[in-house]
Amino acid sequence: MNNANETAVVCRDVTKWFGQGASRVDALRGVDLEIRMGELSMLVGPSGCGKTTLLSVIAGLLDSNGGELEVLDEKPARMTKQERIQFRRRNLGFVFQQFNLLPALTAAENVAVPLLAAGFNRIDAVREATKLLAELGMENRAAALPSELSGGQQQRVALGRALIHQPRLIVCDEPTSALDAKTGHAVMELLSEVAVRPGRAVIVVTHDSRVFEFADTIAHMDDGRIQEIEPGAARARQIANFGAAAPAIQ
Amino acid sequence: MNFVALKMLTGDRAKYLGLIFAIAFSSFLMAHQASIFAGIMDRTRSQIVDITDANVWVMDRNTEYFDEVSALTDDDLYRVRGVTGVKWAVPLFKGQPRAKSPDGKFRVVILLGLDDATLVGTPHKMLLGSASDLRQPDAAIIDEAGYRFFFPDGPLQLGNTLEMNDHRVRLVGICDASAPFTNFPVVFTRYSQALNYVGRERNLLSFVLAKPEAGVSIAELSTRIQSATGLRAMSSTQFGRATIVYYLKHTGIPINFGLTVAIALIVGTVVAGQTFYIFTIENLKQFGALKAIGVSDRRIVAMIVLQALLVGAIGYSLGMGMAAGFFSIFVHKIATRGIVLLWQVIVGDAAIVLLIVIVASLVSIRKVLVLEPAVVFRG
Amino acid sequence: MKRLILPVLALLSITFAVSWTVAARPQRPATEPLAAPPIPSSQQAVAAVGLVEPETENIAVSCSVSGLVTAVYVNAGDRVHAGQKMFSLDDRDLQADLRVKQAALEAAQAKLKKLEEQPRAEDIPPAEAKVREARAALADAEVQMKLIESVTDRRAVREEDVQRRRIAYQAAQARLNEAQAQLALLKAGAWGPDIAVARSEVDQAEAQVKQVKINIERLTMTAPIDGVILQKKVRVGQFAQCGPTSEPLIMMGGGAHLNIRADVDENDAWRVRPNTPAVAYVRGDTKQKFPLEFVHFEPYVVPKKSLTGDSTERVDTRVLQAIYQISDANAPVYVGQQMDVYIETPLPSGTAHRNAGSSASGGTQ
Repeated sequence: MNNANETAVVCRDVTKWFGQGASRVDALRGVDLEIRMGELSMLVGPSGCGKTTLLSVIAGLLDSNGGELEVLDEKPARMTKQERIQFRRRNLGFVFQQFNLLPALTAAENVAVPLLAAGFNRIDAVREATKLLAELGMENRAAALPSELSGGQQQRVALGRALIHQPRLIVCDEPTSALDAKTGHAVMELLSEVAVRPGRAVIVVTHDSRVFEFADTIAHMDDGRIQEIEPGAARARQIANFGAAAPAIQ
Repeated sequence: MNFVALKMLTGDRAKYLGLIFAIAFSSFLMAHQASIFAGIMDRTRSQIVDITDANVWVMDRNTEYFDEVSALTDDDLYRVRGVTGVKWAVPLFKGQPRAKSPDGKFRVVILLGLDDATLVGTPHKMLLGSASDLRQPDAAIIDEAGYRFFFPDGPLQLGNTLEMNDHRVRLVGICDASAPFTNFPVVFTRYSQALNYVGRERNLLSFVLAKPEAGVSIAELSTRIQSATGLRAMSSTQFGRATIVYYLKHTGIPINFGLTVAIALIVGTVVAGQTFYIFTIENLKQFGALKAIGVSDRRIVAMIVLQALLVGAIGYSLGMGMAAGFFSIFVHKIATRGIVLLWQVIVGDAAIVLLIVIVASLVSIRKVLVLEPAVVFRG
Repeated sequence: MKRLILPVLALLSITFAVSWTVAARPQRPATEPLAAPPIPSSQQAVAAVGLVEPETENIAVSCSVSGLVTAVYVNAGDRVHAGQKMFSLDDRDLQADLRVKQAALEAAQAKLKKLEEQPRAEDIPPAEAKVREARAALADAEVQMKLIESVTDRRAVREEDVQRRRIAYQAAQARLNEAQAQLALLKAGAWGPDIAVARSEVDQAEAQVKQVKINIERLTMTAPIDGVILQKKVRVGQFAQCGPTSEPLIMMGGGAHLNIRADVDENDAWRVRPNTPAVAYVRGDTKQKFPLEFVHFEPYVVPKKSLTGDSTERVDTRVLQAIYQISDANAPVYVGQQMDVYIETPLPSGTAHRNAGSSASGGTQ
């Protein structure tokens, strides 16, 4: 296991713009940021501040235009397209705002998708996924379709999908914005409980101030830059609880 | 991932069914039109291929197709018989006199006069009566469709009479003859008797039917007959083909049917292709999520192709089933008798459907491949 | 499983389509004719249509004069000898004529006989009596004359009386001569030329009777040769027309064997050689075939007569007629029957080409 203080992501003067010439929009104007392993970092800021762009760049879904980016000791800029897909498949877990579950698949099958992408056979993958869903409190709903699930349950399934392949970096895009306050709170609680552990970094992009309490570090963004980094409420708690058994996943 | 692809496909029932039925109906329409076209064209040679006793047809040098013949002289029969390699040769008369039923119905019929001694060319599928009864005086055999025209009421029965050229014709048999193109009744009688039924024609010998000896090929024999007698000789297959080609060249039927088949093809391609395209576009976000998660492009292409092939296969199969069902019902109706689904149509239709789904999936695949996975982060 | 419904349905449907298509595909396997057609025994043969005829060819018996048929003595199929009566025509008029002619003959004969039997015996005694009477008268006249001449006294008798008595004597002399001549004429009988005329009249009448008798004979037709009646189209009560008719009154033929007259198309005629083997097939049963012996060619190539039976059939080609004999005297074939004849030939077909246009023009004339 990596040291808890090891960095998962290092950004130095990362820039990203869209378009050309007069229509060019600068989304990132030089981001400096470090994300540490074992922490739940939040990127917060108003709409259009560039936090989702930054998340995409970190996740390897977008290329930066300048600056240095290191993710899990690798430089995405130097990877080929294939390598980047493999890197994502192996090391990243995603939680989306709209969950983006496949509506035709059951909860367990949705959770199993990363394992299937990695080449597991269907039966093994679904068995693993069912196990994980049980740990997420969904043992009875493994065979349900997303349309039969509540928003909170869907997000738990999405969480399961992000976790199943033991990624070292989990990126969450507004995980609570489609949920009501109570459910959002429960989801964040679960996220911090099962996802945050040594050797794994969790980045949550949100503008929902009610969930700030789950952050170890909060990075405030505006206008394409990190404005301020402050420790979150969770850090102290985590230190206090350090050593308590996190749910064993596999 | 294949099962994911399949689940994605079948998950949306309405679109799934829509896709399948678009392909099913267009493949049905294509198969149906193509088969009817082929069936109708095939009818032009019905009377040729129905004669299975002989396989070489000898006719006037300038005869182009079955329905218009210039008679040979009686001696030509003997000259053909004298050609080395001819196992046997018999005369065949073909004419189109008018027949009248006792209640005054009349119709032009296709009259075939068969060699008196051998009855070569006699129908082999008798529904009622025996072909050898043709040897009786005034005897004739009529096909079922013709019988039904003249005697629409009651069951098939023998002994009815018709009148041709003021001569009495006694029906001693009812047979199942392949439907002729002109849809006239087909009447078989003896060669010597045909003279009385057609009135005064100078020569009766329309064709000489021959069979090669063992060891002599049909083509070889045809060449020999042609060089020895100066007449035209060809195999039943060739003559049938020549007749079909004549009708293809001289009627608007192929253009008409070709147009229908083309429209079926275009409509099928457009509808199926577009439905499939829309289906893919609507799932674009899901594909984006998969791409983000780390599913390779190749995998996604494979998934889309699998979906397209499955839809194509199911739709095509249902379409063929419908076509076969249609023809299995209508093959026994008088007007559409003998028109069946052809294996060539089944194979050709499969190729066309394959083409449709490949085109449809190519367009969709392109859309997915250019998709930026980052869209998944947009709300 | 619900989602399997469509694929299963599709599978069933394509299976049905394929199996039905396979089952329903038009199948027309080659078949054999109901009755086997004639097959040449040799690779190289000239085919011809042959007509069976008797060795003597068909003899169409006609009558020498037209007339009403009164009696028929034979039937179709009868064997007849030369001279045997076959049928007779009405002869009543000739019979009547015969009687007239016979009467004339008898008259002529009677006339001749009458001439031949002259003189009549009864005529002679009166004539002789007349002679005697004349002689007696002469004797009387002589006595009277001599009496007066014996008177020497001239004055006793008158000269006139003497002369008168001398003349009376001479007249009696002449009367005697006449009576004698009459008797001689009577005794001489009829005149020779008269008898000759009467005799030739008899001959003429006899000839006329004979002529009528011959005419009567001519009304009865007799068989010209030994043979078989092939066809009898003459019936009592019919009017028989003499001369060639479309339907002969009686058709007959003779000879121990049957011949076949084979019509070989002029285009194939060059291939046929005399004395080559040939076979004839009975129509309708090709198992019955008979070897043929070459007899002769008709040297003259004739226009083909169609055998379809329609006499107005157009003549479109000419044929060489080759006569063959059916060796098998017991062959169940009949005169007038058509047979398919194959004549073996050393020459293959097609080595010489008939001019290309002939068939086309033949068909379209």
